[in-house]
Amino acid sequence: MEIDAKKEGQAVIIALTGRMDAVSAPQFDKTVDDFIEQGETRILIDFKTLEYISSAGLQSVLALAKRLEMISGTVLLSDLNGAVKEVFEISGFSSIFTIFDNLDAAKASI
Amino acid sequence: MSQLHIILPAKMDNLGNFIQSLSMCLKQHEMTAEQIPRVQLAVEEALVNIIRYAYEGQTGDIELRCGIADDQRFVIEILDSGVPFDVLTLPKPDLHCSIKDRKMGGLGVFFIQRMVDELLYRREGDKNVLTLFISRNNGCFSRSNQDMHAGA
Repeated sequence: MEIDAKKEGQAVIIALTGRMDAVSAPQFDKTVDDFIEQGETRILIDFKTLEYISSAGLQSVLALAKRLEMISGTVLLSDLNGAVKEVFEISGFSSIFTIFDNLDAAKASI
Repeated sequence: MSQLHIILPAKMDNLGNFIQSLSMCLKQHEMTAEQIPRVQLAVEEALVNIIRYAYEGQTGDIELRCGIADDQRFVIEILDSGVPFDVLTLPKPDLHCSIKDRKMGGLGVFFIQRMVDELLYRREGDKNVLTLFISRNNGCFSRSNQDMHAGA
């Protein structure tokens, strides 16, 4: 999995590419840990080019959401497709996260 | 039935090897682009459970076999020699609670059950044997074909 993270205005935008599985999910955990330690509380995850996610990836996203909730932060998700969208729907994650059709819509809501 | 048969140590470093070998086998059997990630997900979840829990800190192997069953379904067998663990006995996770109340974990086995047509568990000697059956033209694929015909 490739992780492309950048600060843009008040938010951190994290674009994920490839496969978020039990091997690669810890890379994501490390990236978000670093941003939260730096004081960031608004994180937007762009799934446009993520092809695959397993329960390990979902757990990383949930762990991030729980941490941000404790510090009154926000996590927004955008552009879920194909197998990734299906996994979010089956797991019920689609109904507990704020998900936008595309990155621009997510940015506009911050 | 076996057309793929690999045995590797139950280590997270080997997850990619298992999934790559599985994927080649799925493509050889003309599984669709929609089916492949579903099967990969079911198998990843089963392998990760074994890697994390089966050997309780000791070393051990995982055996993966794939092929076509007598009824023409795609069949995958995953074997380990760890502690007995029947995935079919786990309760279904609560899918509707809030972020705060949502429990970490519990989704892996749920995904395995959702992504295959039939899931069987047996203890054979000192081994756990998990068998996954996948129809090669399952409901989703058939439906999308029908939609295409309807639209044409």
